[in-house]
Amino acid sequence: MSAPAAEPAEPTAADFKRQLIDLALKSGALTAGVADAAAFTAAPEGHRPTDLLPKAKAVFVVGGAQPRAADWQSPMSSFMEASSTADRINALGLRMANHIERQFGYYALMVPAGIDRGGQPFVSVALAAELAGCGTKSIAGPVLHPEHGFMYYSALITTLNLPVDGPLDEPACPAPQCVEMWEAEGTTPCLATCPIDQGGCLGGRIEDGKIAETRYDRARCTTRAQTYWAPGFQKALGAALDEKDAAKRQMIINSSGFTRTLWSMTYSSVSQSQCFECMRVCPVGHERRELR
Amino acid sequence: MDAKANPETEPNPAGAHPSPEDATAAIKALASKMGGDVCGIAHVRDWDEFVPEGYRPDDILPGCESVVVIGARGPTAGAWRCPDNRIMEVNGYDFANDRAVHVVADFIERTYGFYAMQAPSLPTGGHQPPFSMMLAAVLAGLGTRSFAANIVLNPKFGLLYYSAAFTTLPLSYDGRLEQNVCPHKMCVATYRAVGKTPCMAACDADDGGCLDGTIDANGEIESVYYDRERCSTRSMQFGINSFQNALNEMIAEDDDDTRRMMINSDFVSRSCGAMGYFKDSVAQCFECMRVCPIGREERKLK
Amino acid sequence: MSFFFVDPETYEKYKDAVLAESQSIQVNYVEHLPPDKRKPGLSDKQIADKLGLDERTVREIRCVGEREFYAIDEYERAAAFKEAQCRAYAEQGLSAITKKYVDRARAAKKGA
Repeated sequence: MSAPAAEPAEPTAADFKRQLIDLALKSGALTAGVADAAAFTAAPEGHRPTDLLPKAKAVFVVGGAQPRAADWQSPMSSFMEASSTADRINALGLRMANHIERQFGYYALMVPAGIDRGGQPFVSVALAAELAGCGTKSIAGPVLHPEHGFMYYSALITTLNLPVDGPLDEPACPAPQCVEMWEAEGTTPCLATCPIDQGGCLGGRIEDGKIAETRYDRARCTTRAQTYWAPGFQKALGAALDEKDAAKRQMIINSSGFTRTLWSMTYSSVSQSQCFECMRVCPVGHERRELR
Repeated sequence: MDAKANPETEPNPAGAHPSPEDATAAIKALASKMGGDVCGIAHVRDWDEFVPEGYRPDDILPGCESVVVIGARGPTAGAWRCPDNRIMEVNGYDFANDRAVHVVADFIERTYGFYAMQAPSLPTGGHQPPFSMMLAAVLAGLGTRSFAANIVLNPKFGLLYYSAAFTTLPLSYDGRLEQNVCPHKMCVATYRAVGKTPCMAACDADDGGCLDGTIDANGEIESVYYDRERCSTRSMQFGINSFQNALNEMIAEDDDDTRRMMINSDFVSRSCGAMGYFKDSVAQCFECMRVCPIGREERKLK
Repeated sequence: MSFFFVDPETYEKYKDAVLAESQSIQVNYVEHLPPDKRKPGLSDKQIADKLGLDERTVREIRCVGEREFYAIDEYERAAAFKEAQCRAYAEQGLSAITKKYVDRARAAKKGA
C-alpha cells in the first residue's frame, strides 16, 4: 500500500513575494520591491501606511510606464504634456492589490493617485519607492531607478508580511557625469536647466560625490508641471471672473489656454505631468533612450 | 486581390447559431474570465412592468431580446478598513464589470453575428441615467434592492458595480431572486430593538441624512425612503455638482479678493481634482454600506 | 442667440411640482413591493405630459432643481459627516453608529 500524498506545504511569505514580483514584471513593470510599513518615519503622522491600513506590515511598490525613448526625442514640449501618464502603472498597482486579496487572502489597499485634503498625498509614493529599493531621490526631486532613470510608481499597502527589500545602498543621483559637471562648472544638467535663483525650481549642492543640499520651489514647479491642470484652470477662471469687460472676458473664456486647462482636467489620467525638462537632461537611464 | 476581413476584429453576420443554453454558458464563462464576480441575464420584456417608454433596452437597441448584466467588486477589503474616508473617495476601481461587458459584446457580435452593445451608463440629463443598471441587476437575478440608497445587494458580495450589454441574441434567462437579500437577520433584530437598521442609523433621514424605512412583521422591507439629492451631496460631493454650486457663489461675489480666496480654496481645488479624476472618484460616500452586514464575510481577510 | 436654458420665472413656477414627481426623493422603489405600494418617480416626458409642459423644459427645470435642492453648505456638512462616521466606525465598530438609538430605546423603556 502506497503512502498518501503529502499535503502541499503552505506558501511562505517569500513565495508570495516571488509570485507578486513575477506577476508585476510579466505585466510590464520595470521594477518591484517591498518596503517595511513601519519604516515611513520621515512621513508626517496621518500619512504613514498604518494610518491608512491598520496593522499594515508591508508596502509593495511597482515602477514602470516610463515615457518612451521616442517621446523624449520630440521637440514639441506639448507632446509629453498631453501624453505622459501614470495610468498604466496605477492600473497595475490596483491589479496587484486585488491579487493579494483574492489569491492570498490578506488585506491590500492601493495608495490612490489622487490627493487628500489640502493637496497632500495620502502616503508619499516617492518615499515608498525609496524605502522599497526601487530608486533613490534625485537632486531634481523625482525618484530615479539606477538603470532606468525616471519612471512612474504605484504603491499598495498590505497586512501580508512580505520580506523587505529596504532602500538601495548606492544612490542613483548624482550620476558620474553630473559629479564631473559639478566639479567643473558648479552645476548639474537638471540644476542648469531649471535654476531656482534664475526663476526656476531647482537648487542644490554636491559634496564628495553625494547630494549635500537640495532646494525645490514647489509652487513654481506647479506652474510648470500642472500648467493646464486644476491650478491653471483656477487661475484662468479667476482672470475671467475678475474681468469686468464682457468682450474681454469672452476672449479669456474661449482662449486656447483656458480650453487646454479644460481638456487636461477631463483627460487627467493622461495629462498629469506637464514638465519634463529636468528629467530630459538627466543622464540616469539615458543610454536606454538612444535608439534608431 | 481584396484583403480578407480579420475574423478577430470584424462582426460576423454569418456566425454560429448557438442554442440559448450554449450561448448563455459561453457568455457567463467569458464574463467570469474577464473579472466579473457575477453574471445574470434578463429578458427585454421584464422592463415593461417597471420602466416608462424611452428607458427600456429596446428603446436603445431596437430588436433587443436579452440583457446580460455583469457585476464586480469595487474597493478592496483593505480600503474598507481605512479610518480616513477620503481613501475610498479617490481609490479608483478596475471596473472589471465595464471591461467584461465590452468583451462579451464583442464576442456576441464576432462569434454569433447578433447585435450587441454596452448599455449606456453615464447620466445625460442631470441625475437621470438613460438606463438603470440597478434595475437590470435585479431583473437578472443578481440581487435585490436595499434600505441603503436603494442599492442592489448581491447575496454573496453585497455591494457590486454593474454593467450591462443589450443584444438581439436569444439567451436563457435567470429571473429575479426569490429571496430578498435585505434586510439581514441582524438588521431585523437591530430594527426591532431600536427602530433603525444599521444603514438607517448611519445616515438617518430624521437627522439630516438620506435613509429611512420600516420592516414588517415578517422581517421584510415594508417601506423605504431615500433622499437622493442629499445623497448626491455626499456620494458625489467633490466634482461637477460641487463645482457648479461653488461657481455660482464665486460669480456672485463682488469683492475680487474674497473671490480669489474662494477660487483657490481647498473646496474648489478638490472639486476640480475630482472632475479631472472622476473615474477614480465615482463614489464618495460609503457610510451606509460600511455598516451593512451583507457581503461582509467576503471582506474578512488576514 | 445663446444656449438653451430655462427662464427663472418658469423655473420658480414649476420647480416644486417637477421635483415632486421626479426621482429626487425615492419612496418604495423596491421591486418586490406590491404595485399598489410602489411609488416610482416619473420620466421627464411623463412629468411634461402631466404638467402640460414640453419635455426639454421639464428636463431643464429638473436639472437646475437637482443642483439647487440643497445649498452649498450641505457639501461642507457632508465632509464633516463622512470624516466623523468613518473614523468612529474604524475605532469603535457598529456600536459607534447604533449607540444613540440603544440609549434612546433604553430611556424610552425606563420612562414607560
